[in-house]
Amino acid sequence: MPGFFQQHLRPLAGSAGLHLLLLALLAGAALRWTSPQPPVELAIEGYVAEAPKSVKALPDPMAAPVARTPEPVEVPPEPVERVEPAAEPPDRSAEMAAQAERDAQAERDRQVAERAAQERDAQLARERAAAEQRRAEESERRRAAEAEAKRKAAEDEARRKTEAAEAKRKAEEQAKAEREAQLRADREAALQRSLAAEEEAAALAKSGVMDEYRMLLVQTIERSWIRPPSARAGLECTLYVTQAPGGTVVDVKLGPCNGDQAVRESITNAVYRASPLPAPRDPRAFERRLEIVFKPTE
Amino acid sequence: MQVMLAGFNRYGLLPGLLALGLLLAASPGHAQLRLDITQGVRDAVPIAVVPFGGQAEGGAVDVAAVIANDLQMSGRFAPLERADLVARPTSGADIRFEDWRLLKSDFIVVGGIEPSATGLTVVFELFNVRTGASLLAQRLPSSERGLRVTAHRVADLVFERLTGIPGAFSTRIAYVTMDGRPPSQRYRLVVADADGHNPRTAMESSEPIMSPAWSPDGQNLAYVSFEGKASAIYVQRLATGERRRVSARAGINGAPAWSPDGRRLALTLSRDGNLDLYTLDLATQTLTRVTSDDAIDTEPEWSQDGRALYFTSDRSGNAQVYRVALDAARKAERLTFMNGYNARPRLSPDGKELALVTLDRGGYRIAVMELASGNLRVLTDARQDESPSFAPNGAMLIYATRDRGRGALAIVSSDGRFKQRLSSDQGDVREPAWSPFVQP
Repeated sequence: MPGFFQQHLRPLAGSAGLHLLLLALLAGAALRWTSPQPPVELAIEGYVAEAPKSVKALPDPMAAPVARTPEPVEVPPEPVERVEPAAEPPDRSAEMAAQAERDAQAERDRQVAERAAQERDAQLARERAAAEQRRAEESERRRAAEAEAKRKAAEDEARRKTEAAEAKRKAEEQAKAEREAQLRADREAALQRSLAAEEEAAALAKSGVMDEYRMLLVQTIERSWIRPPSARAGLECTLYVTQAPGGTVVDVKLGPCNGDQAVRESITNAVYRASPLPAPRDPRAFERRLEIVFKPTE
Repeated sequence: MQVMLAGFNRYGLLPGLLALGLLLAASPGHAQLRLDITQGVRDAVPIAVVPFGGQAEGGAVDVAAVIANDLQMSGRFAPLERADLVARPTSGADIRFEDWRLLKSDFIVVGGIEPSATGLTVVFELFNVRTGASLLAQRLPSSERGLRVTAHRVADLVFERLTGIPGAFSTRIAYVTMDGRPPSQRYRLVVADADGHNPRTAMESSEPIMSPAWSPDGQNLAYVSFEGKASAIYVQRLATGERRRVSARAGINGAPAWSPDGRRLALTLSRDGNLDLYTLDLATQTLTRVTSDDAIDTEPEWSQDGRALYFTSDRSGNAQVYRVALDAARKAERLTFMNGYNARPRLSPDGKELALVTLDRGGYRIAVMELASGNLRVLTDARQDESPSFAPNGAMLIYATRDRGRGALAIVSSDGRFKQRLSSDQGDVREPAWSPFVQP
């Protein structure tokens, strides 16, 4: 067994490595897989309407640098160095003259040196001021550039917003126009239907089909109504009747009725007895629901 | 209520219920086609009366047959022929309504006879075949001998439930028969069930018997008998047969009529040579003259309140119906003007109408006059109809008519819609009188 491993050490190691690699890839893929997918927008209209909102909601990348105002460049005042003459002890005259000469010379030297120092300081100050000037100019330039960039970005943003709003408005207008067109069409269709129904009803009425149907029903029910003696003039009883398309009476409901039990029994039975009710000559005249009023005259 | 309302509102139920209520209330209003029914038919209502359970076929009394016959006699019902009955249910649970609908039957009566501690119990139920609704269910105590009476009672209840009018099948009729030829003719006063069954002779004579009249309690009959060769008025108690002669005055003693309280008789007498109306107090025998006219005044009938008499008089030249108040003035008022002859007034049980005989287009016919309006409606169409008498429920009248030369009885509904001849093998039949309701 150990011989096997020794013999195949390299391919095994390679194979294991390959597996590890694949596992790593799979793990990576799995991680990607579990990462939440952006929700899918379904409604086209909704998508258009949402777009500018999502833009608005994002943080403005251009706003961040602008928010940082440039730091003021501080120039600390250069301390002017003043070398104080050392205090000399009092001398004798020659010595004092020589000393005076030396002193004068020293004084001259000192003054020369002082002037040179002053000269140097002034030069340094000039150089510093120039540098300062350059820095200020540079800062100003940068600020202007930044402002320009920001303005441009704002302009772009505004333009984008305007364009998006425009697109949204256009989309909405179109949708509205479509809706209105649909509504108009619906209303038109309904009107047409209603007109058609009215025309049909009018045509039916004119052709006498409706009257004929009504008469047919009245005759059938009158032939079926066995009037009890208590059904006298002044009686008024209403039945609400539902008939199936074949004329079969499927429901009879008693409405207002001033008759006695015998009358109620008789009128209900009159309608059931008349079932199936006759069909109209023109099927369009058929009416499922009938309101039947029993109102004997004599 | 507050709590309930709050509860409803909390769950938003109240508005919903209200809306539902409105919807339901409004829905019948959506009916599109309105029909006005102003007429009906005069057909008889088809009804199935199924043979009762617990009864052997061919028994003494076939209860279902008695009921069916009663209903048929009223003219308002058309019982199915027994051969056409598709099934023989004896209780509501056994009825297959669709079968009876196919037979065009509107109603069905089922029932049975059960033995009870005191005799028998008749159980019955009435259904609407079209809707399947039970309309009536009762248990009536009976006995072997009383089965026919109980059957009439069932018919009364069914009739009342389906017409709105109490049935009068348990009542009786009185009439006079004559057979044989003079001088060997026989007159009989007969009392029978309203369906003509069970006739019993109350009095028999070789001389004419006339004008039987029921006392208001249905226990007595007053009638005219010529048994002494002259007319006399008798009052006979039916239960015992005991009778009393109440008027045998000279001349004619005729047309007795009971006052509503049963204490007096109105009658017609000719003791002054002319027929006039009198009242007779039965307890005191006090006779009071009501009319004294040269014309014939006869056939009195009491008003409902007992304070006036309707009668026939020819004082205008021909027979017409008058009314006279039983007060001091005794002034008679003419009521009929329609035809040339109106006679024999009989008051309807509700007191609103008079039945009478009128000469209508060449025939003597039975008519009913509405007292309030004077409107006359002729009910019959034969040539010689007479003696109308209202059933105590006012729904029918019995009268005498001629059938192949012989007197016969017939029944007509008070609206004239139904007529039916009562068959009789009793010779010449005349002057029927329908009894009042009798308390059992």
